[in-house]
Amino acid sequence: MTRSAEELLPFYVNGTLDAAERAEVDAALADSADLRAELEVLTALRKQMQAEEVESPGEFGLARLMRDVDRDGPASSAPGEEPGNVVPIRRLRIWQIAAALVLAIGLAQSVILLNAPGDPGFELASGGAAGADFVVGFAPDATEAQIRALLLNAGVEISAGPSALGLYELAVLDETGIQAAEEMLLAAEGRLIDTLEVIAP
Amino acid sequence: MTEDQTQAALLARMADGDRQALAALYRALEKPVFRFIRSRLNDPFEASDILHDVFMEVWRSAGRFEGRSKVQTWIFGIAYRKVIDAHRKRGRTDLVGDVPDSADEGPDAETCLAAGQEAEHVRHCLGTLKDDHRAAISMAFYDDMTYGEIAEIAGVPEGTIKTRIFHAKKLLMRCLSGRVARRAPA
Repeated sequence: MTRSAEELLPFYVNGTLDAAERAEVDAALADSADLRAELEVLTALRKQMQAEEVESPGEFGLARLMRDVDRDGPASSAPGEEPGNVVPIRRLRIWQIAAALVLAIGLAQSVILLNAPGDPGFELASGGAAGADFVVGFAPDATEAQIRALLLNAGVEISAGPSALGLYELAVLDETGIQAAEEMLLAAEGRLIDTLEVIAP
Repeated sequence: MTEDQTQAALLARMADGDRQALAALYRALEKPVFRFIRSRLNDPFEASDILHDVFMEVWRSAGRFEGRSKVQTWIFGIAYRKVIDAHRKRGRTDLVGDVPDSADEGPDAETCLAAGQEAEHVRHCLGTLKDDHRAAISMAFYDDMTYGEIAEIAGVPEGTIKTRIFHAKKLLMRCLSGRVARRAPA
């Protein structure tokens, strides 16, 4: 019994394999009594799982949803429309992102000079980069799935953004992993990330 | 019109503010989405809250659905991430569900089959899996999704999903076999 056929077996059971994959599993089943026994187990397991009744919120949940939708107001704008104050990142150019970073850093420095660090209300004018570990602009053709995988692998989460220029602030989930996160984000620069700024600790 | 096309049309109407379309989509997908959330959380009330949050987000984001995946896949992706957020907020760590030492230490399949027919054992053993293993096997067996769809929802490569389900299956069989063995007469 091959590892490949074993990995495909659950999807053979749920009927989602293509013809070539089914043929591969069929051939492996013909050769292996163990795999045939496993097929019976998985078939029974799936049947058991699907037979289980789950009490969902049903109409009560729908009523609650409608109440909150009414409070929330109308749904999002139609596909393709963007809120007037947001520039879609796919329209950005590198120089715009760079300019935004220079401006943000300049503003932050101005505020630092104008306010004593201990003053109540002291914060960076660049908006919340305090608490963020990185500021990134994602590549226009980076998909949501690619970005999500990158963030998960790097152990970071989006702490703010998108800014008006489409920049995001990222924070590491575990401070001890900041070095690894930086390396992973740097490795993605030029592919999924157009611009990366590492915020000094 | 396929089921997915019908659901995509509902999303398009929702983007224009059609609440009846939201109600129709909720009725079509509420049960599978809730079952998926519930399979990853022990608390039915928390699962209900997350279901509510998922459909609120679907309502708010309907206009941003680009049709690059099935509607169900898109909504399961939202639910997947919300459950991860819930686990993270609670500081939950996945201490269970270690990968088996080797593949050939698996239990006797016939024993598992007998155990697999008992709902209580199945529920218990699913509960011993790590969240990502449980989520993958839930989508494969509750919702009959392809490994490609599951990978898209979880945001990982297809090979990762095959490996997760491979290990989840081994762990389930080991757990089921162990429970049956403990109940067997001496």
